[in-house]
Amino acid sequence: MSDQPLILGIETSCDETGVGLVRGTTLLANAVASSVDEHVRFGGVVPEVASRAHLEAMVPTLHRALAEAGAGLGDVDAVAVTAGPGLAGALMVGVSAAKALAVALDKPLYGVNHLVGHVAAEQLENGPLAEPVVALLVSGGHTEILLVEDIATSATLLGQTLDDAAGEAFDKVARLIGLKYPGGPNIQRAAADGDPGAIRFPRGLTGQRDLERHRYDFSFSGLKTAVARWVETAEREGRAVPVGDVAAGFQEAVADVLTRKAVLACQERGISTMVLAGGVAANARLRELTRSRCAAAGIELRQPRFSLCTDNGAMIAALGAAVVERDLPPSSLDFASDSSLPVTQVLVG
Amino acid sequence: MIDLDVPDAESMTALGERLAAVLRAGDLVLLGGDLGAGKTTLAQGVGAGLGVRGPVTSPTFVIARVHPSLVEGPPLVHVDAYRLGGWDELEDIDLEATLDEAVTLVEWGEGVAEGLAGDRLEIHIDRSHGGDGDPGEVRHVHVRAVGGRWDESALATAVRP
Repeated sequence: MSDQPLILGIETSCDETGVGLVRGTTLLANAVASSVDEHVRFGGVVPEVASRAHLEAMVPTLHRALAEAGAGLGDVDAVAVTAGPGLAGALMVGVSAAKALAVALDKPLYGVNHLVGHVAAEQLENGPLAEPVVALLVSGGHTEILLVEDIATSATLLGQTLDDAAGEAFDKVARLIGLKYPGGPNIQRAAADGDPGAIRFPRGLTGQRDLERHRYDFSFSGLKTAVARWVETAEREGRAVPVGDVAAGFQEAVADVLTRKAVLACQERGISTMVLAGGVAANARLRELTRSRCAAAGIELRQPRFSLCTDNGAMIAALGAAVVERDLPPSSLDFASDSSLPVTQVLVG
Repeated sequence: MIDLDVPDAESMTALGERLAAVLRAGDLVLLGGDLGAGKTTLAQGVGAGLGVRGPVTSPTFVIARVHPSLVEGPPLVHVDAYRLGGWDELEDIDLEATLDEAVTLVEWGEGVAEGLAGDRLEIHIDRSHGGDGDPGEVRHVHVRAVGGRWDESALATAVRP
Protein backbone atom coordinates (compact mmCIF):
# COMPACT_ATOMS: atom_id res chain seq x y z
CA MET A 1 0.00 0.00 0.00
CA SER A 2 2.64 2.51 1.04
CA ASP A 3 4.32 2.19 -2.35
CA GLN A 4 1.31 3.88 -3.93
CA PRO A 5 1.57 7.67 -4.15
CA LEU A 6 -0.06 9.78 -1.44
CA ILE A 7 -2.76 11.98 -3.02
CA LEU A 8 -4.16 15.06 -1.32
CA GLY A 9 -7.68 15.98 -2.48
CA ILE A 10 -9.42 19.34 -2.02
CA GLU A 11 -13.15 19.96 -2.52
CA THR A 12 -14.91 23.35 -2.24
CA SER A 13 -17.65 23.23 -4.88
CA CYS A 14 -20.53 24.10 -2.55
CA ASP A 15 -21.10 24.01 1.22
CA GLU A 16 -18.34 21.72 2.40
CA THR A 17 -14.65 22.46 2.72
CA GLY A 18 -13.19 18.98 2.29
CA VAL A 19 -9.60 17.75 2.44
CA GLY A 20 -8.83 14.06 2.04
CA LEU A 21 -5.77 11.83 1.78
CA VAL A 22 -5.76 8.62 -0.20
CA ARG A 23 -3.29 5.99 -1.45
CA GLY A 24 -4.74 4.07 -4.39
CA THR A 25 -8.19 3.04 -3.18
CA THR A 26 -7.24 3.23 0.50
CA LEU A 27 -8.77 6.03 2.55
CA LEU A 28 -6.35 7.63 5.01
CA ALA A 29 -8.14 10.84 5.98
CA ASN A 30 -11.44 12.60 5.27
CA ALA A 31 -11.71 15.97 7.03
CA VAL A 32 -14.76 18.12 6.30
CA ALA A 33 -15.81 21.52 7.60
CA SER A 34 -19.35 22.53 6.73
CA SER A 35 -20.73 26.02 6.45
CA VAL A 36 -24.29 24.68 6.57
CA ASP A 37 -24.99 26.26 9.96
CA GLU A 38 -24.07 29.61 8.56
CA HIS A 39 -26.49 28.99 5.69
CA VAL A 40 -29.48 27.90 7.73
CA ARG A 41 -30.68 31.45 8.13
CA PHE A 42 -30.97 31.70 4.36
CA GLY A 43 -32.36 28.25 3.80
CA GLY A 44 -29.55 27.61 1.39
CA VAL A 45 -26.18 28.50 0.01
CA VAL A 46 -25.11 32.05 -0.58
CA PRO A 47 -22.03 32.20 -2.78
CA GLU A 48 -20.15 34.94 -1.00
CA VAL A 49 -20.87 33.45 2.40
CA ALA A 50 -19.67 30.09 1.10
CA SER A 51 -16.43 31.56 -0.30
CA ARG A 52 -15.63 33.28 2.97
CA ALA A 53 -16.36 30.14 4.96
CA HIS A 54 -14.10 28.08 2.66
CA LEU A 55 -11.30 30.58 3.05
CA GLU A 56 -11.49 30.41 6.84
CA ALA A 57 -11.82 26.63 6.97
CA MET A 58 -9.20 25.65 4.39
CA VAL A 59 -5.98 25.63 6.47
CA PRO A 60 -7.50 24.13 9.66
CA THR A 61 -9.19 21.38 7.59
CA LEU A 62 -5.89 20.62 5.82
CA HIS A 63 -4.13 20.26 9.18
CA ARG A 64 -6.88 18.00 10.49
CA ALA A 65 -6.60 15.73 7.43
CA LEU A 66 -2.81 15.48 7.77
CA ALA A 67 -3.08 14.68 11.47
CA GLU A 68 -5.76 12.05 10.80
CA ALA A 69 -3.49 10.33 8.25
CA GLY A 70 -0.37 10.75 10.40
CA ALA A 71 1.33 12.42 7.46
CA GLY A 72 3.18 15.66 6.81
CA LEU A 73 2.88 17.94 3.81
CA GLY A 74 6.27 16.67 2.68
CA ASP A 75 4.80 13.17 2.23
CA VAL A 76 2.23 14.33 -0.37
CA ASP A 77 3.04 13.10 -3.89
CA ALA A 78 0.30 14.90 -5.84
CA VAL A 79 -2.55 17.37 -5.29
CA ALA A 80 -6.04 16.92 -6.76
CA VAL A 81 -8.79 19.54 -6.61
CA THR A 82 -12.38 19.98 -7.79
CA ALA A 83 -12.21 22.11 -10.95
CA GLY A 84 -16.03 22.12 -11.39
CA PRO A 85 -18.95 22.04 -11.63
CA GLY A 86 -20.04 24.14 -8.65
CA LEU A 87 -20.34 27.67 -7.34
CA ALA A 88 -17.77 29.86 -9.07
CA GLY A 89 -16.56 31.77 -6.01
CA ALA A 90 -16.41 28.66 -3.85
CA LEU A 91 -14.50 26.62 -6.45
CA MET A 92 -11.94 29.37 -6.75
CA VAL A 93 -10.91 29.05 -3.10
CA GLY A 94 -10.11 25.35 -3.42
CA VAL A 95 -8.36 25.73 -6.75
CA SER A 96 -6.19 28.57 -5.42
CA ALA A 97 -5.26 26.57 -2.33
CA ALA A 98 -4.39 23.52 -4.45
CA LYS A 99 -2.24 25.56 -6.81
CA ALA A 100 -0.38 27.15 -3.90
CA LEU A 101 0.29 23.72 -2.36
CA ALA A 102 1.40 22.21 -5.66
CA VAL A 103 3.84 25.05 -6.29
CA ALA A 104 5.17 25.10 -2.72
CA LEU A 105 5.62 21.30 -2.63
CA ASP A 106 6.75 21.10 -6.26
CA LYS A 107 4.27 18.29 -6.92
CA PRO A 108 1.86 17.74 -9.84
CA LEU A 109 -1.63 19.25 -9.74
CA TYR A 110 -4.80 17.59 -11.09
CA GLY A 111 -8.02 19.56 -11.58
CA VAL A 112 -10.81 16.99 -11.66
CA ASN A 113 -14.58 16.69 -12.11
CA HIS A 114 -16.74 16.86 -8.99
CA LEU A 115 -19.43 14.51 -10.36
CA VAL A 116 -16.98 11.78 -11.33
CA GLY A 117 -15.38 12.27 -7.90
CA HIS A 118 -18.64 11.14 -6.30
CA VAL A 119 -18.36 7.87 -8.22
CA ALA A 120 -14.65 7.48 -7.37
CA ALA A 121 -15.52 7.75 -3.67
CA GLU A 122 -17.09 4.30 -3.91
CA GLN A 123 -13.66 2.80 -4.60
CA LEU A 124 -12.62 3.85 -1.10
CA GLU A 125 -15.48 1.83 0.36
CA ASN A 126 -15.52 -1.43 -1.60
CA GLY A 127 -12.35 -1.39 -3.70
CA PRO A 128 -11.81 -0.85 -7.43
CA LEU A 129 -14.91 -0.54 -9.62
CA ALA A 130 -15.34 -2.85 -12.59
CA GLU A 131 -16.36 -0.30 -15.21
CA PRO A 132 -18.59 0.37 -17.02
CA VAL A 133 -20.97 1.40 -14.23
CA VAL A 134 -24.11 3.51 -14.10
CA ALA A 135 -24.08 6.15 -11.36
CA LEU A 136 -27.15 7.81 -9.86
CA LEU A 137 -26.06 11.12 -8.34
CA VAL A 138 -28.60 12.95 -6.23
CA SER A 139 -27.95 16.01 -4.11
CA GLY A 140 -29.14 19.57 -3.51
CA GLY A 141 -27.68 20.75 -6.78
CA HIS A 142 -27.41 17.58 -8.86
CA THR A 143 -29.71 14.90 -10.18
CA GLU A 144 -27.93 12.91 -12.85
CA ILE A 145 -27.57 9.46 -14.31
CA LEU A 146 -24.02 8.96 -15.53
CA LEU A 147 -22.45 6.20 -17.55
CA VAL A 148 -18.86 5.83 -16.38
CA GLU A 149 -16.87 3.82 -18.90
CA ASP A 150 -13.54 4.49 -17.21
CA ILE A 151 -13.28 6.38 -13.95
CA ALA A 152 -10.07 8.19 -14.93
CA THR A 153 -10.89 9.09 -18.51
CA SER A 154 -14.44 8.62 -19.68
CA ALA A 155 -17.89 9.49 -18.40
CA THR A 156 -21.08 10.50 -20.21
CA LEU A 157 -24.33 12.07 -19.08
CA LEU A 158 -27.32 9.82 -19.74
CA GLY A 159 -29.92 12.01 -18.06
CA GLN A 160 -30.45 14.89 -15.69
CA THR A 161 -33.16 17.03 -14.15
CA LEU A 162 -34.86 19.46 -16.51
CA ASP A 163 -35.88 21.79 -13.67
CA ASP A 164 -35.30 21.28 -9.92
CA ALA A 165 -32.66 19.00 -8.42
CA ALA A 166 -34.03 16.27 -6.14
CA GLY A 167 -32.48 17.80 -3.02
CA GLU A 168 -33.85 21.20 -3.96
CA ALA A 169 -37.32 19.65 -4.29
CA PHE A 170 -36.94 18.24 -0.76
CA ASP A 171 -36.03 21.71 0.55
CA LYS A 172 -38.89 23.48 -1.23
CA VAL A 173 -41.53 20.90 -0.36
CA ALA A 174 -40.35 21.03 3.26
CA ARG A 175 -41.09 24.74 3.18
CA LEU A 176 -44.52 24.14 1.66
CA ILE A 177 -45.51 21.85 4.51
CA GLY A 178 -43.96 23.95 7.25
CA LEU A 179 -40.79 21.91 7.87
CA LYS A 180 -37.39 23.52 8.35
CA TYR A 181 -34.22 23.53 6.24
CA PRO A 182 -32.50 21.21 5.45
CA GLY A 183 -35.52 19.52 3.89
CA GLY A 184 -34.05 16.04 3.36
CA PRO A 185 -33.72 14.83 6.95
CA ASN A 186 -36.83 16.72 8.09
CA ILE A 187 -39.05 15.19 5.40
CA GLN A 188 -37.65 11.73 6.13
CA ARG A 189 -38.47 12.18 9.82
CA ALA A 190 -42.01 13.40 9.08
CA ALA A 191 -42.54 10.63 6.51
CA ALA A 192 -41.79 7.97 9.13
CA ASP A 193 -45.19 8.75 10.70
CA GLY A 194 -47.02 8.90 7.38
CA ASP A 195 -48.50 6.49 4.87
CA PRO A 196 -46.60 6.58 1.55
CA GLY A 197 -49.68 5.24 -0.23
CA ALA A 198 -52.17 7.73 1.20
CA ILE A 199 -51.53 10.38 -1.46
CA ARG A 200 -50.23 9.50 -4.91
CA PHE A 201 -48.19 12.38 -6.26
CA PRO A 202 -47.18 12.50 -9.95
CA ARG A 203 -44.00 10.86 -11.29
CA GLY A 204 -42.43 13.37 -13.69
CA LEU A 205 -41.41 12.33 -17.21
CA THR A 206 -42.66 8.75 -16.92
CA GLY A 207 -45.46 8.94 -19.50
CA GLN A 208 -44.99 7.14 -22.80
CA ARG A 209 -44.30 10.29 -24.82
CA ASP A 210 -41.96 11.73 -22.20
CA LEU A 211 -40.07 8.44 -22.04
CA GLU A 212 -39.34 8.75 -25.75
CA ARG A 213 -37.86 12.22 -25.52
CA HIS A 214 -36.53 12.22 -21.95
CA ARG A 215 -35.85 8.59 -21.25
CA TYR A 216 -33.37 9.11 -18.40
CA ASP A 217 -34.24 12.72 -17.51
CA PHE A 218 -36.08 13.89 -14.43
CA SER A 219 -38.54 16.68 -13.63
CA PHE A 220 -39.52 17.59 -10.09
CA SER A 221 -41.26 20.96 -10.57
CA GLY A 222 -44.62 19.36 -11.38
CA LEU A 223 -44.35 17.28 -8.22
CA LYS A 224 -43.59 20.41 -6.20
CA THR A 225 -46.66 22.14 -7.67
CA ALA A 226 -48.81 19.07 -6.98
CA VAL A 227 -47.80 19.17 -3.31
CA ALA A 228 -48.53 22.90 -3.14
CA ARG A 229 -51.98 22.36 -4.63
CA TRP A 230 -52.76 19.46 -2.34
CA VAL A 231 -51.85 21.51 0.73
CA GLU A 232 -53.85 24.53 -0.47
CA THR A 233 -56.92 22.44 -1.18
CA ALA A 234 -56.77 20.88 2.28
CA GLU A 235 -56.40 24.28 3.90
CA ARG A 236 -59.24 25.78 1.87
CA GLU A 237 -61.50 22.97 2.93
CA GLY A 238 -60.52 23.56 6.53
CA ARG A 239 -58.79 20.19 6.89
CA ALA A 240 -55.59 19.81 8.88
CA VAL A 241 -52.67 19.00 6.56
CA PRO A 242 -51.45 15.47 7.33
CA VAL A 243 -47.79 16.42 7.18
CA GLY A 244 -46.62 12.82 7.59
CA ASP A 245 -48.71 11.53 4.67
CA VAL A 246 -47.71 14.41 2.39
CA ALA A 247 -44.01 13.94 3.27
CA ALA A 248 -44.22 10.17 2.76
CA GLY A 249 -46.13 10.47 -0.53
CA PHE A 250 -43.67 13.04 -1.85
CA GLN A 251 -40.63 11.01 -0.77
CA GLU A 252 -42.11 7.92 -2.41
CA ALA A 253 -42.64 9.77 -5.70
CA VAL A 254 -39.02 11.00 -5.74
CA ALA A 255 -37.52 7.63 -4.78
CA ASP A 256 -39.74 5.78 -7.27
CA VAL A 257 -38.83 7.84 -10.33
CA LEU A 258 -35.10 8.04 -9.47
CA THR A 259 -34.70 4.31 -8.99
CA ARG A 260 -36.97 3.33 -11.86
CA LYS A 261 -34.96 5.35 -14.40
CA ALA A 262 -31.54 4.36 -13.03
CA VAL A 263 -32.45 0.67 -13.20
CA LEU A 264 -33.83 1.19 -16.72
CA ALA A 265 -30.51 2.77 -17.75
CA CYS A 266 -28.58 -0.24 -16.41
CA GLN A 267 -30.84 -2.70 -18.20
CA GLU A 268 -30.88 -0.91 -21.53
CA ARG A 269 -27.13 -0.31 -21.53
CA GLY A 270 -26.31 -3.80 -20.34
CA ILE A 271 -24.62 -2.51 -17.18
CA SER A 272 -24.49 -4.80 -14.16
CA THR A 273 -23.24 -2.35 -11.50
CA MET A 274 -24.91 0.78 -10.13
CA VAL A 275 -23.30 3.36 -7.85
CA LEU A 276 -25.60 5.50 -5.70
CA ALA A 277 -24.02 8.73 -4.43
CA GLY A 278 -24.67 12.34 -3.44
CA GLY A 279 -26.20 13.78 -0.29
CA VAL A 280 -29.76 12.60 -1.06
CA ALA A 281 -28.39 9.01 -1.05
CA ALA A 282 -28.63 9.41 2.74
CA ASN A 283 -32.41 9.14 2.39
CA ALA A 284 -33.39 5.77 3.87
CA ARG A 285 -36.35 5.20 1.54
CA LEU A 286 -34.25 5.93 -1.56
CA ARG A 287 -31.57 3.50 -0.36
CA GLU A 288 -34.10 0.79 0.41
CA LEU A 289 -35.96 1.11 -2.90
CA THR A 290 -32.71 1.21 -4.89
CA ARG A 291 -31.49 -1.91 -3.09
CA SER A 292 -34.66 -3.90 -3.71
CA ARG A 293 -35.04 -2.87 -7.36
CA CYS A 294 -31.37 -3.55 -8.12
CA ALA A 295 -31.64 -6.95 -6.45
CA ALA A 296 -34.76 -7.78 -8.48
CA ALA A 297 -32.99 -6.78 -11.70
CA GLY A 298 -29.76 -8.62 -10.90
CA ILE A 299 -27.76 -5.40 -10.63
CA GLU A 300 -24.98 -5.09 -8.08
CA LEU A 301 -25.57 -1.92 -6.05
CA ARG A 302 -22.57 -0.16 -4.61
CA GLN A 303 -22.75 2.80 -2.32
CA PRO A 304 -20.26 4.36 0.03
CA ARG A 305 -20.93 5.29 3.65
CA PHE A 306 -22.71 8.60 4.19
CA SER A 307 -19.54 10.63 4.92
CA LEU A 308 -18.27 9.63 1.46
CA CYS A 309 -21.67 10.31 -0.20
CA THR A 310 -21.86 13.96 0.69
CA ASP A 311 -19.27 16.37 -0.70
CA ASN A 312 -15.79 15.61 0.63
CA GLY A 313 -12.10 15.87 -0.22
CA ALA A 314 -11.40 12.12 -0.09
CA MET A 315 -13.51 11.52 -3.21
CA ILE A 316 -11.41 14.07 -5.08
CA ALA A 317 -8.23 12.40 -3.80
CA ALA A 318 -9.67 9.04 -4.93
CA LEU A 319 -10.28 10.35 -8.43
CA GLY A 320 -6.81 11.97 -8.39
CA ALA A 321 -5.32 8.59 -7.44
CA ALA A 322 -7.09 6.91 -10.39
CA VAL A 323 -5.75 9.58 -12.74
CA VAL A 324 -2.20 9.32 -11.35
CA GLU A 325 -2.28 5.55 -11.68
CA ARG A 326 -2.90 6.03 -15.42
CA ASP A 327 0.08 8.36 -15.77
CA LEU A 328 -2.19 11.02 -17.28
CA PRO A 329 -0.57 14.45 -17.73
CA PRO A 330 -1.20 16.87 -14.82
CA SER A 331 -3.28 20.02 -15.26
CA SER A 332 -1.38 23.20 -16.07
CA LEU A 333 -0.88 25.57 -13.16
CA ASP A 334 -2.97 28.25 -14.84
CA PHE A 335 -6.14 26.20 -15.34
CA ALA A 336 -9.33 27.99 -14.30
CA SER A 337 -12.22 26.50 -12.36
CA ASP A 338 -15.32 25.98 -14.51
CA SER A 339 -18.69 26.34 -12.78
CA SER A 340 -20.42 24.35 -15.54
CA LEU A 341 -17.67 21.79 -16.28
CA PRO A 342 -19.29 19.02 -18.34
CA VAL A 343 -19.12 15.51 -16.91
CA THR A 344 -17.30 14.31 -20.03
CA GLN A 345 -14.26 16.22 -18.84
CA VAL A 346 -12.91 14.07 -16.02
CA LEU A 347 -9.55 15.90 -15.87
CA VAL A 348 -8.90 19.48 -17.00
CA GLY A 349 -5.85 20.39 -19.07
CA MET B 1 -50.46 46.11 -17.03
CA ILE B 2 -51.05 43.21 -19.43
CA ASP B 3 -53.03 40.27 -18.02
CA LEU B 4 -52.92 36.86 -19.62
CA ASP B 5 -54.48 33.50 -18.79
CA VAL B 6 -52.08 30.68 -19.47
CA PRO B 7 -53.83 27.28 -19.49
CA ASP B 8 -50.90 24.86 -19.21
CA ALA B 9 -47.14 24.37 -19.13
CA GLU B 10 -46.78 24.22 -22.92
CA SER B 11 -48.57 27.58 -23.21
CA MET B 12 -46.25 29.00 -20.54
CA THR B 13 -43.22 27.92 -22.57
CA ALA B 14 -44.81 29.44 -25.69
CA LEU B 15 -45.38 32.72 -23.82
CA GLY B 16 -41.69 32.73 -22.91
CA GLU B 17 -40.77 32.27 -26.55
CA ARG B 18 -42.97 35.20 -27.59
CA LEU B 19 -41.46 37.32 -24.82
CA ALA B 20 -37.98 36.49 -26.09
CA ALA B 21 -38.89 38.13 -29.38
CA VAL B 22 -39.19 41.53 -27.65
CA LEU B 23 -36.00 41.12 -25.60
CA ARG B 24 -32.53 42.25 -26.55
CA ALA B 25 -29.13 42.68 -24.92
CA GLY B 26 -29.36 44.95 -21.87
CA ASP B 27 -32.92 43.99 -20.95
CA LEU B 28 -33.94 43.03 -17.42
CA VAL B 29 -36.92 40.82 -16.56
CA LEU B 30 -38.06 40.28 -12.98
CA LEU B 31 -40.14 37.18 -12.48
CA GLY B 32 -42.28 36.58 -9.40
CA GLY B 33 -44.83 34.06 -8.15
CA ASP B 34 -45.16 31.34 -5.52
CA LEU B 35 -43.34 28.00 -5.40
CA GLY B 36 -44.62 25.97 -8.32
CA ALA B 37 -46.15 28.93 -10.18
CA GLY B 38 -44.20 28.21 -13.36
CA LYS B 39 -41.33 30.69 -13.26
CA THR B 40 -38.69 28.27 -14.49
CA THR B 41 -41.08 27.01 -17.19
CA LEU B 42 -41.47 30.57 -18.47
CA ALA B 43 -37.68 31.04 -18.30
CA GLN B 44 -37.24 27.86 -20.36
CA GLY B 45 -39.44 29.40 -23.05
CA VAL B 46 -37.41 32.60 -23.01
CA GLY B 47 -34.23 30.53 -23.35
CA ALA B 48 -35.70 28.60 -26.28
CA GLY B 49 -36.86 31.82 -27.94
CA LEU B 50 -33.46 33.46 -27.54
CA GLY B 51 -31.74 30.35 -28.87
CA VAL B 52 -29.35 29.84 -25.95
CA ARG B 53 -27.50 26.71 -24.84
CA GLY B 54 -29.62 24.71 -22.41
CA PRO B 55 -30.86 23.11 -20.42
CA VAL B 56 -32.44 26.06 -18.60
CA THR B 57 -33.07 24.54 -15.17
CA SER B 58 -33.81 25.97 -11.75
CA PRO B 59 -30.91 28.22 -10.73
CA THR B 60 -31.77 28.01 -7.03
CA PHE B 61 -28.63 26.03 -6.22
CA VAL B 62 -26.12 27.99 -8.30
CA ILE B 63 -27.91 31.38 -7.84
CA ALA B 64 -26.95 32.50 -11.36
CA ARG B 65 -26.26 30.64 -14.57
CA VAL B 66 -25.08 32.04 -17.91
CA HIS B 67 -26.51 30.45 -21.07
CA PRO B 68 -24.48 31.49 -24.12
CA SER B 69 -26.31 32.13 -27.38
CA LEU B 70 -26.25 29.50 -30.12
CA VAL B 71 -27.49 32.00 -32.73
CA GLU B 72 -25.11 34.93 -32.19
CA GLY B 73 -27.69 36.73 -30.09
CA PRO B 74 -27.41 37.86 -26.47
CA PRO B 75 -26.76 35.29 -23.74
CA LEU B 76 -29.39 34.63 -21.07
CA VAL B 77 -28.28 35.26 -17.49
CA HIS B 78 -30.76 33.28 -15.39
CA VAL B 79 -30.75 34.33 -11.75
CA ASP B 80 -32.60 33.08 -8.67
CA ALA B 81 -32.84 35.40 -5.67
CA TYR B 82 -34.74 32.78 -3.61
CA ARG B 83 -31.85 32.30 -1.20
CA LEU B 84 -30.42 35.79 -1.25
CA GLY B 85 -30.88 37.96 1.80
CA GLY B 86 -31.46 41.18 -0.13
CA TRP B 87 -29.92 43.76 -2.39
CA ASP B 88 -26.43 43.54 -0.82
CA GLU B 89 -26.14 39.86 -1.62
CA LEU B 90 -27.51 40.40 -5.11
CA GLU B 91 -24.76 42.98 -5.61
CA ASP B 92 -22.22 40.38 -4.46
CA ILE B 93 -22.92 38.25 -7.52
CA ASP B 94 -22.05 41.19 -9.75
CA LEU B 95 -24.87 41.08 -12.31
CA GLU B 96 -23.95 44.57 -13.46
CA ALA B 97 -20.92 43.05 -15.18
CA THR B 98 -23.12 41.21 -17.71
CA LEU B 99 -26.24 43.39 -17.66
CA ASP B 100 -25.42 45.37 -20.80
CA GLU B 101 -24.65 42.48 -23.13
CA ALA B 102 -27.12 39.89 -21.84
CA VAL B 103 -30.82 39.37 -21.24
CA THR B 104 -31.00 39.12 -17.44
CA LEU B 105 -33.95 37.25 -15.96
CA VAL B 106 -34.29 37.21 -12.17
CA GLU B 107 -36.63 34.73 -10.49
CA TRP B 108 -37.82 35.79 -7.01
CA GLY B 109 -36.55 39.24 -7.98
CA GLU B 110 -39.56 41.24 -6.76
CA GLY B 111 -38.59 43.65 -4.01
CA VAL B 112 -34.90 42.79 -4.44
CA ALA B 113 -33.64 43.38 -7.96
CA GLU B 114 -35.49 46.55 -9.06
CA GLY B 115 -32.35 48.60 -8.49
CA LEU B 116 -30.53 46.82 -11.31
CA ALA B 117 -32.22 48.88 -14.06
CA GLY B 118 -34.76 51.67 -14.47
CA ASP B 119 -36.22 50.00 -17.56
CA ARG B 120 -37.48 46.51 -16.88
CA LEU B 121 -40.29 44.04 -17.36
CA GLU B 122 -41.99 42.91 -14.18
CA ILE B 123 -43.85 39.64 -14.58
CA HIS B 124 -45.89 38.01 -11.87
CA ILE B 125 -47.45 34.56 -12.14
CA ASP B 126 -50.45 33.64 -10.00
CA ARG B 127 -51.45 30.05 -9.72
CA SER B 128 -55.23 29.81 -9.48
CA HIS B 129 -55.96 28.60 -6.01
CA GLY B 130 -58.81 26.56 -7.20
CA GLY B 131 -62.40 26.25 -6.26
CA ASP B 132 -64.93 23.65 -7.22
CA GLY B 133 -64.14 21.94 -10.48
CA ASP B 134 -60.97 23.97 -11.03
CA PRO B 135 -58.35 21.75 -12.61
CA GLY B 136 -55.76 24.13 -11.17
CA GLU B 137 -53.53 24.28 -14.21
CA VAL B 138 -54.44 27.84 -15.24
CA ARG B 139 -51.94 30.58 -14.45
CA HIS B 140 -52.69 34.28 -14.47
CA VAL B 141 -49.71 36.19 -15.77
CA HIS B 142 -49.32 39.92 -15.24
CA VAL B 143 -46.76 41.77 -17.33
CA ARG B 144 -45.80 45.34 -16.50
CA ALA B 145 -43.32 47.48 -18.42
CA VAL B 146 -41.39 49.94 -16.22
CA GLY B 147 -39.53 52.82 -17.86
CA GLY B 148 -39.60 53.88 -21.50
CA ARG B 149 -37.99 50.82 -23.08
CA TRP B 150 -41.25 49.06 -24.07
CA ASP B 151 -44.46 50.49 -25.47
CA GLU B 152 -47.16 48.64 -23.55
CA SER B 153 -49.66 48.28 -26.39
CA ALA B 154 -47.02 46.92 -28.76
CA LEU B 155 -45.83 44.64 -25.98
CA ALA B 156 -49.38 43.40 -25.44
CA THR B 157 -49.69 42.52 -29.14
CA ALA B 158 -46.36 40.72 -29.07
CA VAL B 159 -47.02 38.55 -26.04
CA ARG B 160 -50.63 37.56 -26.71
CA PRO B 161 -51.02 34.22 -28.45
